[in-house]
Amino acid sequence: MANLTDTSTTVPTEAAPTGLRIDGFVVLVALIGLALLGTLIWLETAPFLVGLFFLGGLLGIALYHGAFGFTAGWRNLIVKKQGAGMRAQLILIGLASLLMIPVLGSGQPGMIGAIAPVGLSLVVGSFLFGLGMQLGGGCGSGTLFTVGAGNLRMTVTLIFFIIGSLLGTFHLPWWLDRPGTDPVNLISELGVSGALVLQGIALLLIYLWVRRVEFKSHAKVDSAELQIRPTEKGWLATLLTGRWPFFWAVLVLAFGNLLTLLLSGSPWSITFAFGLWGAKIAQALGMDMSVYEFWTWDFPAQALRDSVLVNVTSVMNFGLLLGAMLAAGLANNFNATGANPPLLKPFLAAVIGGLMMGYGARLGFGCNVGAFFSGIASASLHGWIWFASAFVGSIIGVKLRPKFGLPD
Amino acid sequence: MYRRHRVIFVLLGILLLILVDHLQSPTFAFNSGQGHAPTSLIQLDTGACAPCGAPCPSARD
Repeated sequence: MANLTDTSTTVPTEAAPTGLRIDGFVVLVALIGLALLGTLIWLETAPFLVGLFFLGGLLGIALYHGAFGFTAGWRNLIVKKQGAGMRAQLILIGLASLLMIPVLGSGQPGMIGAIAPVGLSLVVGSFLFGLGMQLGGGCGSGTLFTVGAGNLRMTVTLIFFIIGSLLGTFHLPWWLDRPGTDPVNLISELGVSGALVLQGIALLLIYLWVRRVEFKSHAKVDSAELQIRPTEKGWLATLLTGRWPFFWAVLVLAFGNLLTLLLSGSPWSITFAFGLWGAKIAQALGMDMSVYEFWTWDFPAQALRDSVLVNVTSVMNFGLLLGAMLAAGLANNFNATGANPPLLKPFLAAVIGGLMMGYGARLGFGCNVGAFFSGIASASLHGWIWFASAFVGSIIGVKLRPKFGLPD
Repeated sequence: MYRRHRVIFVLLGILLLILVDHLQSPTFAFNSGQGHAPTSLIQLDTGACAPCGAPCPSARD
């Protein structure tokens, strides 16, 4: 089965031990962390945020056990012409579209999709993100879940992701004044069924193209994305310790995004919290954030003023980190790359990749989750443009990886 | 191989940062009995043009 994640991540590989050997310490610490933070959120905020926190944890488990990173899925297609990872992503987005577009089209008050403007800011931002994710070794979700699993290089990526996001918030207003238009919502333009049909056709065409690319190179297609039965262990052992077939992760991620929409009023996103955490740290160090236009807009200003425990994205990210830690402990694979000596070039790639992803995510209105996954599942045109532009960036990023000593 | 005390130290550090941020927040003030503290339990901004709260380009002309 193809591995969807970056090679530098700590997901289980074929060489990982099988069976029910778990890392009891990591599992216990993750469970205590989930219980402690869950209790704090329960006591200080509202039940829906507790639900979102544990939902974040479940998504972290699915990402880890499903080895569901977007970065390597794209790279495997570009370099090895192996498309199972990319096709799993297309199925995920197709299923999420089926679930979320009718809900968003029902016009319930207090519920909005991941809709964003279309323009130069989006194209430049998503291109930078796509390039950066190949150098950084993971996208928004990939960075978070591998950090939760104890990957030190990805921790460097995350730190610079946060710095890049903060820089992006400083510059986004300038970029918004470059050529661009208001959001194009396909539900408003075509109706629910029109948006579903158009997106379904587009996703199917890309799916078939990816299969064709793989077939032309390998004379066969590995349909791992359609596999439902576990191959190495029994159902329960696989559920607890991984590795999940892609389809299990697809189901959890798609229904998880729908549940996020129903609980919070907007789809799943990740990277807004990175800019917020950076701004809070900068503010604690004495910076006046009110001089930056971004932090005077209602939503960011509210988030900056109040606790991270009432910010949906932050709460879900905390859950995701701990969920991935729990999954890595269950797989007995926490900090699996810890024995590797730190090398200068991969470290530099993590710094540059993190900065590019952070800056790009702000200009591009999100990452692979907030813009690509949730954007397309919300029938927003910006999600499709993000996909195309980030893919071009990834093609260049893949070519640059050997210069930083990173494997294909 | 990781060191157990480092894992606990890092997690406690993160928890401490979250607590410090929360204890200075309007939500904590509200929970402590300051009923007029402007909390933002639901931060959804339906008037914004992007998930990050950005305004529409047309509104910036």
